[in-house]
Formats: sequence, C-alpha cells, structure tokens
Amino acid sequence: MDILNQLMQGFATAGTPINLLWAFVGCALGTAVGVLPGIGPATAVAMLLPITSQVDATASMIFFAGIYYGAMYGGSTTSILLNTPGETASMVTAMEGNKMAKNGRAGAALATAAIGSFVAGTIATIMVTLFAPVVAQYAVRLGPPEYFCLMLLALTTVSAVLGQSTVRGLASLFVGLAIGLIGMDQITGQARYTGGVPELLDGVEIVLVAVGLFAVAEALHAVLFEGATSESQNKLSRVSMTSADWRRSVPAWIRGTAIGAPFGCIPAGGTEIPTFLSYAVEKKLAKGEVLAEFGHQGAIEGVAGPEAANNATVTTALIPLLTLGIPVSNTTAILLGAFQNYGIQPGPQLFTTSASLVWALIASLYIGNVMLLVLNLPLVGLWVKLLKVPKPQLYAGILIFATVGAYGMRQSAFDLVLLYAIGVLGLVMRRFDFPTAPVVVGMILGPLAEAQLRNALSIGEGKWTVFLERPMSLGLLGLVLAVLVLPRVFKKRG
Amino acid sequence: MAVSDKARQSAVALAVLGLAGVLALGAADISSEAGYAGIGPNFLPWLVAAGLAVVAVFLWFEAHSGGFRDMPDPLASDAPPQSAPCWRGFAWMSGALLLNAALITSIGFIFSCTLCFACAAHGLRQAQSGAAQSLRSWLTDLGIGVLIAAPVFWMFTKFLAISLPGLTQSGWL
Repeated sequence: MDILNQLMQGFATAGTPINLLWAFVGCALGTAVGVLPGIGPATAVAMLLPITSQVDATASMIFFAGIYYGAMYGGSTTSILLNTPGETASMVTAMEGNKMAKNGRAGAALATAAIGSFVAGTIATIMVTLFAPVVAQYAVRLGPPEYFCLMLLALTTVSAVLGQSTVRGLASLFVGLAIGLIGMDQITGQARYTGGVPELLDGVEIVLVAVGLFAVAEALHAVLFEGATSESQNKLSRVSMTSADWRRSVPAWIRGTAIGAPFGCIPAGGTEIPTFLSYAVEKKLAKGEVLAEFGHQGAIEGVAGPEAANNATVTTALIPLLTLGIPVSNTTAILLGAFQNYGIQPGPQLFTTSASLVWALIASLYIGNVMLLVLNLPLVGLWVKLLKVPKPQLYAGILIFATVGAYGMRQSAFDLVLLYAIGVLGLVMRRFDFPTAPVVVGMILGPLAEAQLRNALSIGEGKWTVFLERPMSLGLLGLVLAVLVLPRVFKKRG
Repeated sequence: MAVSDKARQSAVALAVLGLAGVLALGAADISSEAGYAGIGPNFLPWLVAAGLAVVAVFLWFEAHSGGFRDMPDPLASDAPPQSAPCWRGFAWMSGALLLNAALITSIGFIFSCTLCFACAAHGLRQAQSGAAQSLRSWLTDLGIGVLIAAPVFWMFTKFLAISLPGLTQSGWL
C-alpha cells in the first residue's frame, strides 16, 4: 500500500497544470524530433540540457521523460515510412514495417507500433513502480566493490558485446573514458589533461559530446557523403487495424513486452538484443500464410513484437538508472547527466532523499504514455509532414539547435570550437563504423567507476583481492568474464 | 579491397595510437599520491593510455589483414546509398560552424546563427546539386535562418532564462 500511496502523490505532483504542460510539450517535441531523420532521443535531451540551470528538477525530469518516450514513438513512424531507422532500436521495425508500408498497409503498421508501444510502456512502467523500490532497498547494502563490478559489467556489455566489433567498441570506450578524465580528479582535486585551458577544469560537458557526436556528426556526414542520394517515401494509409490485425498483434505485444522488460532491468544495456530476439521469436512462431508474409508483404507480428520489446526495455532501463545510478544507453547516460546538474546522484538513496521527484517521474511515465497514444494515432498525418522538410534546411536548422545546447550550458565560445572538433571525431567514427554509445556511457560512467574503484581499494587497504573476497562482487566479475567469453565460444561453434 | 581503404584504416589505427601517446605523456605529469587506495589519480590515465595502445595494435593488424572486421557491407541491398564525398560542401559547413564560434559573442546569437544556417545550407545544396547557387537561394536561406534563430533566441532567453549573447542589451536582438 505504501507504494500505491507514494504513486498517488506522484500523480498529484505530475498532475499539476504546469507539469502536465511540460509533459505535453516534451511528448510533442520528442515525437517531432523522433520523426525527423538525423536526431534521436539522446540528442534531443542533450540539446535541451541547459534548461536544467533554470527549470526545477521535477519539471525538467518530466519534460525529458516525455522527450525520451516521444522520440521512440516518432522514430518508428520514420522507419516504417522511410526505411531510414534513426537508431538501432527501430532497425527491426524498419524491416517488416517498411515492407507492410510498401504494400499499402502503412496505417496498420503505424497503429500496431503505436498501440504496442503504449501497451508495453504501460506494463513496463507498472514493473518500474513495483520493483524499483525493492531494488533500491536491496541496493543500499551494496558497497563500493559491488558498485564497481556493476559498472564494469555495464561498460563491458555496452562496448564489447553490442555492436559489430569488440575492438572498435573498446576503442570507443577508451576514447569516452579519456574524455571523462579531463578536468579535476574527484577524489584528490588534481587537474588532469586540462593543458592549461581554464575551460577544461570543470571537464567536458556531456551536452557537447552528445550533440557533437550525434547532431553535428550527422550533419557533416550528410553534407560529405549523402548529397546526391534521394529517398522515396511510402504512402500513408488510414491508421487503423482490422480485427484480424488485432488478433495477431495482441499476443505479439505481450510476448515482446515479456522479452524486452527483463533486458532493461539488468545493467547490460541496449535495445538491439531484445528487439532482434522478439523478431526471431515472432518469425519462429509464425506458420503458413503468416510465415510467408515475413520478408515479403510484411507481417504485422514483426512490427508489433519488436516495437513492444523496444519500449519495454527502454522503460525498465530506468530501474538501474534510478536505483543504482548506472546508465546503459546513450539516453539514460544523458538523463544521468541531467540529474548530476541538479546535484542529485541517482542511487538507492534517491527513493528516500528525492522521493517526490522519483514518484512524479514515474507517474509522468503513465501520463506520457497516454498522451503519446493520443498524439500519435489521430495526428500521425501531421507528424509525417515533417518528413517533407528539405535536407539543407533540416540539417542547417539542427546546427542552430546544437549551438543553443552547447553554448547555453556554459556561455563559452570555446565550447563551440570543441563542438566542431567532436563533430569531426563523430564523422570519422561513423565512417569507420565505431559505435558511439560506449563514448557517451564511458564518459559519464568512467569518473563514477574510478571513484568506486579507489574507494573499494581503500576498504581493502590497497589489496585488489577485495573484489574476490566478497561473494557478490566475485559473482559479478564472473558475469563480466562470461559476457566477454561466451559469445566468442558460440561464434566459434556456430 | 582497395588500397586506399587499407591506407585509411591504417591512418585510423595510427591516430588511436597517437591518442594513446598523448594520454601517456599527460599521465606522466599526474601525481601518483595514492593514500589508502594504493592507486592514485594517475592510475586510470595510464590504464586508458595502455588500453588505447593495445586497441591501436589490433586495429593496425586488422587493417593489414583484410580490413576492419565485420564492417557493414556497402554492397548489401539495404545499405544506405552513398555518393562520392563532397569536400566543398564539407568546407562550407565547417566554415559555418567555426565562423559561428568566432562571431557569436560579437554579433550576437541571432545574426551569428543565421549566417551559420545559410552557409551550412549552402554547403548541403552544393552537395546535392554540385551547381553554383543563385543569389535568391542565399537570400531565402538567410531569411529562413532568421526565422528559426530569432524565435529560438527569444524562447530560450525570455521563457527559460538561459543567457545567450545578444548584439544589443535590449534582449530582443
């Protein structure tokens, strides 16, 4: 009952007109951003991070959660209609969804994506409501050695397991850790890698890195390599589902949610695995005519399942973020940055020290899901118009917003030069297929992990065996090892 | 695989190695004062430098034995189409961003960003058509640039109270 009470209080906070307005603006903005090719949820949240200096914590968290969710919904619209998935999460949606759209079933694909996201998002939010406080209670007992091992697990999975190549993933991770090193050492206060530039003493802003790597690099890539390419857009049909569509979608949503939700809970990030897994399951379960639709006319299950899995993962990823302070994706890493701007460190204490903020955030997830359903089903035709913005104006406009984000944070023109440099870095990384998530996660998590490591070693009086003597940290280390070794063993055999 | 691909990938490996070197040089200057932990502020810098060096060796090895592994296949049917690199467009956009950095504090957010918008849009147009641009498209871009930059400036400075540089003290320009 305690949880229900607190949730009700959360609804009371999130339900004030001004906070509802923030949620609405966030959802609308997020959807617009998600629909536009080139910027995803991480970039959108990053560009608006400067508002953390003026708007109070609860309102801005509600706002960012709206953007985060909205961009997910918007992203699936683009991948169904254009076949240019903005992020890895909607890659699977693009496979079947775009085929359906080519066969004049764009409306059904969009509907199942939107309703499936709603169903999965709501179920996953219920899981966050029920489990996050429990995890937090348990997490209080974790010491620095366990935290360090958890962070090591997150860093390993983000860089070594996801993505195509472990070598390139690790390269990105080390670059991210290197960026995180710039500035003052948290424990001794010593300046590292500042090169005498006073602006660098506070470290490099997360906004700068995220906006540079995603938005500026995207624009530079577009001008350099995508000039003469043209895109064909699928026709939009009426957004509705037949009763047969419903019959086929509902079980796929449930299965997708069941697959996606557990993946978000573990600090082993990324939506790639659950979405692909859900797609594989749906294909495996399909028989006869339905199976024939996969890869040809497009099967509705192949959109419904992965979309649900995606939203479930994204939502439950808030559990490790809120209870342990461990981000597992670009967007959660930037949300962690937003918390840090308020001087709030997410972790088990968050549920006691900032209870009203946390519960308002969770309540706003329920509200946001409903808002997005309303924004997306009847208004999808409106969002699709955004796809008509010509490329030169689109990318040039993105650069203006990138400037606001980067400059607004610290009011320093030096940051704009740095923004360009990071954009060029992102361009090179994209050209040679280096993943970007490890850079952002490494940069945010690196300093935290370093502090935990040094605290853990202090507890162990300088002996590294401290990690082996505690059962939980030993177990986690085993898990890290398994994550590194097992995929290789399977690859060799299969 | 083309020779130039090998050269480019080797260059990437060397760049990573160079970064490792820079980090190691910097790490040498950081104190190792460790306290109770046994490792000091210079531990992670050395670790990252070493990690980058090892990764650089692997990248070099991959570049010289058939290229980076598991690259997206440019010939696959669903791969995004790519055209020959347009360096002129790239130069325009780079200029746009750097000019913006140079001018933003002196001529204010709105004009600086408008200029950035027009130059970047010019670069992208050039990449699309390759042709020289008419005066009219320049004027249109400048117009659209102002129409985006000015409301953004007002929204952020007036409603969100985030300070962005203006040309005058009035807060509207």
